[in-house]
Amino acid sequence: MADKSFVGGIREPRQGLVRVIRRGRSGWGGGRVALERSEVSPKLAPHFGFRLSEAERRGGGHFRGTRGRGGGKMAAPLELRCWGGGWGLPSVHSESLVVLAYAKFSGAPLKVSVIDNTWRGSRGDVPILTSEDNIVSQPAKILNFLRKQKYNADYQLSAKQGADTLAYIALLEEKLLPAVLHTFWIENDNYFTVTKPWFASRIPFPLSLILPGRMSKRALNRILLTKGEPPHYHLKEVEAQIYRDAKECLNLLSNRLGTSQFFFGNTPTTLDAYVFGFVAPLYKVHFPKVQLQEHVKQLSNLCRFCDDILSCYFRISLADG
Amino acid sequence: MSLVAEALVSQVAATEPWPEDATLYQQLKGEQILLSDNASSLAVQAFLQMCELPIKVVCRANAEYMSPSGKVPFIHVGNQVVSELGPIVQFVKAKGHSLSDGLDEVQKAEMKAYMELVNNMLLTAELYLQWCDEATVGEITHSRYGFPYPWPLNHILAYQKQWEVKRKMKAIGWGNKTLDQVLEDVDQCCQALSQRLGTQPYFFNKQPTELDALVFGHLFTILTTQLTSDELSDKVKNYSNLLAFCRRIEQNYFGENGKGHIPLRGKSEGGKPRHK
Repeated sequence: MADKSFVGGIREPRQGLVRVIRRGRSGWGGGRVALERSEVSPKLAPHFGFRLSEAERRGGGHFRGTRGRGGGKMAAPLELRCWGGGWGLPSVHSESLVVLAYAKFSGAPLKVSVIDNTWRGSRGDVPILTSEDNIVSQPAKILNFLRKQKYNADYQLSAKQGADTLAYIALLEEKLLPAVLHTFWIENDNYFTVTKPWFASRIPFPLSLILPGRMSKRALNRILLTKGEPPHYHLKEVEAQIYRDAKECLNLLSNRLGTSQFFFGNTPTTLDAYVFGFVAPLYKVHFPKVQLQEHVKQLSNLCRFCDDILSCYFRISLADG
Repeated sequence: MSLVAEALVSQVAATEPWPEDATLYQQLKGEQILLSDNASSLAVQAFLQMCELPIKVVCRANAEYMSPSGKVPFIHVGNQVVSELGPIVQFVKAKGHSLSDGLDEVQKAEMKAYMELVNNMLLTAELYLQWCDEATVGEITHSRYGFPYPWPLNHILAYQKQWEVKRKMKAIGWGNKTLDQVLEDVDQCCQALSQRLGTQPYFFNKQPTELDALVFGHLFTILTTQLTSDELSDKVKNYSNLLAFCRRIEQNYFGENGKGHIPLRGKSEGGKPRHK
């Protein structure tokens, strides 16, 4: 007979399920198992025919009637591992910032664990989201995962706007990302005076000697492989091309944003998270070589956009510095 | 191109009208050209047809090496050689022909964004399928890519190209993707294009633009190419407005007036279904 405790595919029985088994056994041979709503964990609730209210689904925390089980959380906590912040930003790393912004927009309760220079936790392929049995690693996949968990910032968008989102994200990755990578990791002045010390201070020795160099090489590789084809025979020409593309992309974004608060009306969506993630580090981090930053500062609506998001959604981290 | 060189080309381009003997070079149609190159070439041909500029298509086995950027197709106009759709669009614009003049700023931004989407997802997926999927590589790509060369050069060049493409895939984060994930991305891209197109005849209502040419080039090639399995073309077939769009452009620009012709590639008939 199919055991109801495994209907959700959970391998180890939890406290709530122990109760189910007990009652099932006692009621065997005639009685039906009557379950209290509060005894069923949120993951299994749909299987038992219960509907979760919005608050319970999103709350991910305690239920009424945990009956002194020690107050353990029933829903899976979501933990995000990412690089820390500075210069007023919650994170200095673009991809981590995209995920953090999306989590704030969609109301996902993330527990953020910042990488510091202890040996705890992993450092590669960041940002990484862990929930109880899933480990998800790239920003696009993490956002998809959050959407499947019903933390969706795009539910108000029409189909065409959803398609536009995908297109603009592709534009950002093709045109703006190489320049962001170059500003952070390849431009010598920036790399040696700002980026490398910052990252090295957050990585334990002796990894701090190796990891920044590896990240820089990976960035250079990416730029050269995607942009550095003939007739660009010198890195200088590639640099000129990517900065030109980036400036054009920023102009396009500024035109598209216009005077509205976010890209699609008054509520922020996935596209806002991506634009914020790529533009805010360029805007806020203090670099010695600032040509792209100057350009961003000239586009006042993009600056206003970043500042708005920082003040509305990241107020707490701003207060911390 | 460097900034100075590009300015020079635009300057020179603007002075001369479009000659009658402009030629487009690509690889050999029947035996050598691959899916991604055929798509790019068809996109350029469609664009030039839409601008009503005469172009002659010439097939050469070493087209890839003749091209200034290493990519096909490239066009030889007057005494200038320009390769890839982006620079060709700019070159043609310098000569005074443009399809996107009627668009406002926001629409131009959207057009550029959608072109990047097609390049980012469709083209990369085609490259992945051709070079990183073992079944396709073994059956189709290796033999086609090395066709004009004697042994052992055909194997060496094919392996070298495969290594290069795999490196690029790894750098952009596609190295760990499985074929199913890639097909899902293709589906997402087609869905976005279909939603953007809606019920309009072209992406920006009445007049075709370079985006229409690019989308047509890729979708038509995917639909008419026989690979080891039909999964890729099935993804596109799910969207009826995209099918109608391709048919419309084919009829308007390649069919009746007989100016151009769709190079339907006779793929290797060894298209046995992939066994999972």
